[in-house]
Amino acid sequence: MTALLRKDLLVLRRSPLLLGALLAYPIVIALLVGLVAGYANAKPRVAFVDEAGLPAVVTVGGHRFHIGTVVDQVAQQVTLVHLSAGEAARELSNGKVVATITVPDGFLDDLGSSTTSPHLILRTTSGGLSSRVTQQVQSLVYQLNRKLQSGYIAANLAEVRLIEHGGTFGPYTVLGLDHMDSTLAGLPQTAKVQQLRTFVKIARLALAETGNALHATASPITLVQPKQKGRTWILSAQVQSYGIALTVTFLALLLAAGATATERDEGTIGRLRRGLLSRGELVGSKVSLAAVAGVALGVLIAIVFGLVVDIGGVRGGEPWQRLPLVLVGVLLAAAAVGAAGVALGAVAREARTASLLAVLVVLPVLFLGLVPRGAFAPAFWISEFLPFTHAVRWLTAALYDVSPWRTLGIETAWLLGIGAVLFALARRAVRLLAA
Amino acid sequence: MTLLRADGVERRYGDVVALAPTDFELAAAESVALVGPNGAGKSTLLAILAGALEPSAGRVEGSVRVGWVPQRPAHYAKLTVRENLELFARLGRVQPDVDALLARFELPPDRISGELSLGNRQRLNVVLSLLDEPSVLLLDEPTASLDPESRGRVWALVDEVRADGGAVCFATHDLDETSHATRVVRLQDGRIVA
Repeated sequence: MTALLRKDLLVLRRSPLLLGALLAYPIVIALLVGLVAGYANAKPRVAFVDEAGLPAVVTVGGHRFHIGTVVDQVAQQVTLVHLSAGEAARELSNGKVVATITVPDGFLDDLGSSTTSPHLILRTTSGGLSSRVTQQVQSLVYQLNRKLQSGYIAANLAEVRLIEHGGTFGPYTVLGLDHMDSTLAGLPQTAKVQQLRTFVKIARLALAETGNALHATASPITLVQPKQKGRTWILSAQVQSYGIALTVTFLALLLAAGATATERDEGTIGRLRRGLLSRGELVGSKVSLAAVAGVALGVLIAIVFGLVVDIGGVRGGEPWQRLPLVLVGVLLAAAAVGAAGVALGAVAREARTASLLAVLVVLPVLFLGLVPRGAFAPAFWISEFLPFTHAVRWLTAALYDVSPWRTLGIETAWLLGIGAVLFALARRAVRLLAA
Repeated sequence: MTLLRADGVERRYGDVVALAPTDFELAAAESVALVGPNGAGKSTLLAILAGALEPSAGRVEGSVRVGWVPQRPAHYAKLTVRENLELFARLGRVQPDVDALLARFELPPDRISGELSLGNRQRLNVVLSLLDEPSVLLLDEPTASLDPESRGRVWALVDEVRADGGAVCFATHDLDETSHATRVVRLQDGRIVA
């Protein structure tokens, strides 16, 4: 069996086009997926149209705050480009910006009035980034509101204090509850005066709680986000796991199917079946070929991914420390997929047909593995019985879970089980090769 | 003495009968020529006798080493001639004198076999059947694509095997080649007819 494996590896080495494709394919896939990962981390370009002529500092309710600071916080997530309304509309229509945020004329007046809600206008394209930009702008509005509500609450509290302690309000002089109480105290304490003093006492107590009540009403729930170390971005984890699993599945299936069918194309299956190799050994050698090639390519792609992730500054995961674990996962996945490839190659009985069949089979397998459970349950359940899904889970756990062992155990059992079934099917199918 | 015997061997592909139930024996020092039109079942019978094809029914008995030369050269095109010989020797767990075989059939050891001429590929095909010094040689149109000199080598090989007490069975469309046979078997429509 090892002699046949060595032969297949030698044949692979002497097929420069195929070997080149095998080496280039995962690198291209890894780079593309890495770029997607980097792109997902990159800032989309958003036009900022200031029709209101926002000053650097806005005073609301006697509180000054730097509106530019809040805008700058949003600019950490997107690239804000200051444009006129016309330019922004043009750039949005030709896709140079993915969204425009307009601060309309009258924004500052509404802001200062405390009676009319000022509004921002967001226009987005219908592309894939629009939801992300919408989230960023919602974040901007949320942060602006947080800043503004402090000002508004302060303004409201100033008026409450005026009622409590008295003072001037425009042309008016406000007596205030304090003075009212002392005035009432100087009057004959009739039943009505006593009633008014009781009211003043209750009103003062109630107004004393107004500050807390206003803060609580403005922010019924406050989101507290303590800073902590650890993995921060799951997207790169999923992308990397999918990239490795996709490549290994694709190549292991094609390689095993092609190598198996080639034995018939070259007429050597007849010689092999003359007692030189059992059917199990034949399947085993082709599965080993898929596993060896899968591990080699898996190493390559994992290294490329690690470099892309490092160079791109994408945080999250342990691409280097867990590399040996990744290889175990790749070995299991490639072997299971390789068994399926042998079955396909045996059924196809001809290398070109086997390659085409492998491509036709692998694409739905990959797509099924990408369908979330909630989207289409039958697809999810079918993919549960295919190696790709479990390879993705294995790799994701190996690369990113803090405690991956339980997941690895479950997914290893799945891959071994599926692999055993596929091996048995392949063993039966290779009978067709010699027929 | 019977070296190889087939009892009721049959091969079907669905409803198509490639070889009807057939009894066949090959005795020591015998040379049998299988003749018949295309699709008569000659190659199928030889492949079943060689153990390269499982019969749908029946069985093959024999406790001798059997060499098989398939109709179409069967070797790895990306390996050199020597690598092919060494690989099949290793798989068969035998240690032939590869250099002697190469010299005898004048094969270039370091040439990639897929780049050989058809005649040289057929010679390699024959040499691969000799790795375990077989007592029975089964040849499916062995001289197709060979030049007269190479054909002479093949028939010399046939005579040699017989002289050593072995047996040979070969399929041919060339009736002149039946002169190398001690017995001629005619097949038609998957049956032995004469």
